Amino acid sequence: MISAEATALTTTTESPQTSSEVVPMWRQRWRIFRHNKLAVISLGYLIVITLACYLVPWLHPTNQTNQAATFNVPWNAPPSAAHLLGTDSSGFDELGRIFYGGEYSLTLGFLAGFITIIVGTVYGMVSGFFGGIVDTVLMRIVDAVLSIPYLFLLIALISVFGRSTMFLILVIGLSGWFGNSRIVRGDALLIKNLEYSQAATAMGAGKAHIIRRHVFPNSISNIVTVATFSVADAILFLSALGFLGLGIQTPQTDWGTMLQAGAYQLQNGFWWEVYPLAIVFILVVVSLNYIGDALRDAFEVRLIER
Amino acid sequence: MLAYIIRRIIQSIIVVLIVLFITFSLPYFQPHGIVAPAYVVYGTKATPANIALWAHQNGMDQPFLVRFWQYITQLLLHFNLGHSYKQNMSVWTIIKLYVPRTIWLALTSLILATAIGLVVGIVQASRRNTVFDYTATGTVFILYSVPTFLLSLLLIDLFAFHWPHLPASPPTGVAPWAMFTDPKGFVLPVAALTLLSVAGLSRFFRGAVLEVLVQDYIRTARAKGCGNWRVLFRHAFRNALGPIITLLGLYIPGLLGGALIIESVFNYEGLGLQTLNAALNLDIPTVLGITLLASLLTVAGNLLADVMLGLVNPRIRIEGGGR
Repeated sequence: MISAEATALTTTTESPQTSSEVVPMWRQRWRIFRHNKLAVISLGYLIVITLACYLVPWLHPTNQTNQAATFNVPWNAPPSAAHLLGTDSSGFDELGRIFYGGEYSLTLGFLAGFITIIVGTVYGMVSGFFGGIVDTVLMRIVDAVLSIPYLFLLIALISVFGRSTMFLILVIGLSGWFGNSRIVRGDALLIKNLEYSQAATAMGAGKAHIIRRHVFPNSISNIVTVATFSVADAILFLSALGFLGLGIQTPQTDWGTMLQAGAYQLQNGFWWEVYPLAIVFILVVVSLNYIGDALRDAFEVRLIER
Repeated sequence: MLAYIIRRIIQSIIVVLIVLFITFSLPYFQPHGIVAPAYVVYGTKATPANIALWAHQNGMDQPFLVRFWQYITQLLLHFNLGHSYKQNMSVWTIIKLYVPRTIWLALTSLILATAIGLVVGIVQASRRNTVFDYTATGTVFILYSVPTFLLSLLLIDLFAFHWPHLPASPPTGVAPWAMFTDPKGFVLPVAALTLLSVAGLSRFFRGAVLEVLVQDYIRTARAKGCGNWRVLFRHAFRNALGPIITLLGLYIPGLLGGALIIESVFNYEGLGLQTLNAALNLDIPTVLGITLLASLLTVAGNLLADVMLGLVNPRIRIEGGGR
C-alpha cells in the first residue's frame, strides 16, 4: 500500500522525468483492471447502456406516457419493422420503453448508491477513527439496523414516508449505508494505528489532517469497490420494489415494474415483453459485480464483507 | 464459554432495544403522526376535538419516553404489538397465524441450499480454476444478479405453464406443515428460495473451504498419505465449519427478504405476504410488528450461530471470549 505522500508526489511531479519513470497510481491500477477482460467488457457495456438510456429517449422519442395516444397502436404486438421489440400491454413501444425505464432505474440506482457510500464513509470514518465510546455507540446502532432484514426495513420506511421518486432515492440511499459503514470503519481502525499515521501524530498533525491525508486516501480502494456493489444492490432492490408495486408510479416506469408486468404476459406467449429487458437488466447487474470484483483485485485489498 | 454466551446475550438485548426504539419511533413520522388511527376511527367526523379526545383516551398525549416504556412492558408482558388498522385482529394474532408457514419455507430452503452450496463449494475449491469451477462461478454470478421475483416467475412459466407438472401456487387454507404431507404445491416456492440462497451462499462457502485448503495441516495430512476425500471431509470441512456457521447466521436477513418476495410471487400465505399487503394498505402497526419480529429472528439466529461456533471451535470455548 502506498501512502498519500507517495500518491501526491507522483501526481504532482510536473518536471520532465529523468531516469526511472514514475507511473501515476491510477494508471497502475488501470493497468491491472485492464488485464481483466471480462471487467473491461462489463465497463464498456455499462457505459453503452447508460448512454443509450439517457440519449435514445431524447434522440428517437417514442410515446411512453400518453395512454390516450396508444389508441391506434396494436397492443401486445409482436416485433415488427415499426416496433423492433413489439409493444407492451398498454401499446407502448417496448424497445423505447427499455431505455425510458432504464433512465429511472439507473438514475435511482446510481444516486441511491452514491448516498449509501457517502453516508457510510463519513459514519464509518468517524466511528473507526474516534474509537472508544463513540465507536461502541455508533456500531451498536449499525448492528441493530442490520438485524432488520433490508427488504422489511425498506417496506416499513416506504409505508411510513410515502413513495415519490425523491423519497425512493432517499429511502434506498439512507437505509442502505449501514453495511458500508462497517467496512470503512474497519479500515479507519486499521489505518489510524499504522506507523505512518502514528508518525504524523508524533510530528504534530491534527486529527482532521490525518483523516484527510492518511486514513481517507488509504481506504479509498475499499470505498470505490464497495460503491460499485452498492449501486448493483440498489438497482436490484429498486427492481424488487417495482415488482412489489412500491416502485416508480405510473405513467413513469422502471425496469422492475416493467419486468413484473412483462413476466405475467409470458403465459400468453408475449416473450418480447420480458426476455429482452431481462437480458439487459441482468447484464447490468452482472457487469457492476464484475467491475467491483476487478476493482478489488486492482486495489489488492481483502474485502471481508459485502 | 458461559461468559462468552452471556456477553453475546447482553449485546443482543441492546441491539433488540435499539430496534424496538426504531419501530416505536417510526409511527411518529407517518402522515398525521401517532394519532393517525383516530382519522380512520372517526372518518369524516375527525374534528380536532375528537382527535384530541381519542389521543387522550389511548394515551397518545403522554410524553415520548413514558409511551416507550409502556410499549416495551406491553410487548414483553402481553405480546401486545398494537391492533391492525385494516384487519380486525391484533398484530400478534396475525403473526401467530403466519409465522410457522414462513419458518417452514425458510428452514426447508436453507437446509437444501446449505447442502447444495456446500457440495458445490467444496468441489469448486478442490478443483480450483477448472472448467467446473468457472462454470459454477459464472452460474452463481448470474443467479445472484437475477431479481428474485423474475426467477420465481420464470420457474412458474416453465413448470406450471410450458410443462404443466406443478401448481403455480401452494394450496391455501391448509396446515402450516402441509409442505411435508402434500409437497407438490410447495416444490416451486422452495426451489426458488433454495436457488436464491445457493447463489448467495456458495461463493462464500467456496472461499471458506479454499482458505482452509492452503493451510499447513492439510499439506501434512496429504503428506501422510490421506486420500483426497478424507482430506476434504475430515480435515478441510471440519475446519471450514466455523466460518460457514457464521455465514449462515449472517444470511438470515437475506433469507427472510427472499421469502418476502417469493411469498408474494407464489401467493404463499406467510409473514412476507402479510407485510406487503399491510404496506400497500398503509397498515403501519402490522408492518412494524412484523419488521420487529423479523429482526428478532435475525438476532436470535446470529446468537445461535455464535453459540454453535463456540461449540465447534474449541479455541473460543476455552478462551471464553475473543470476539
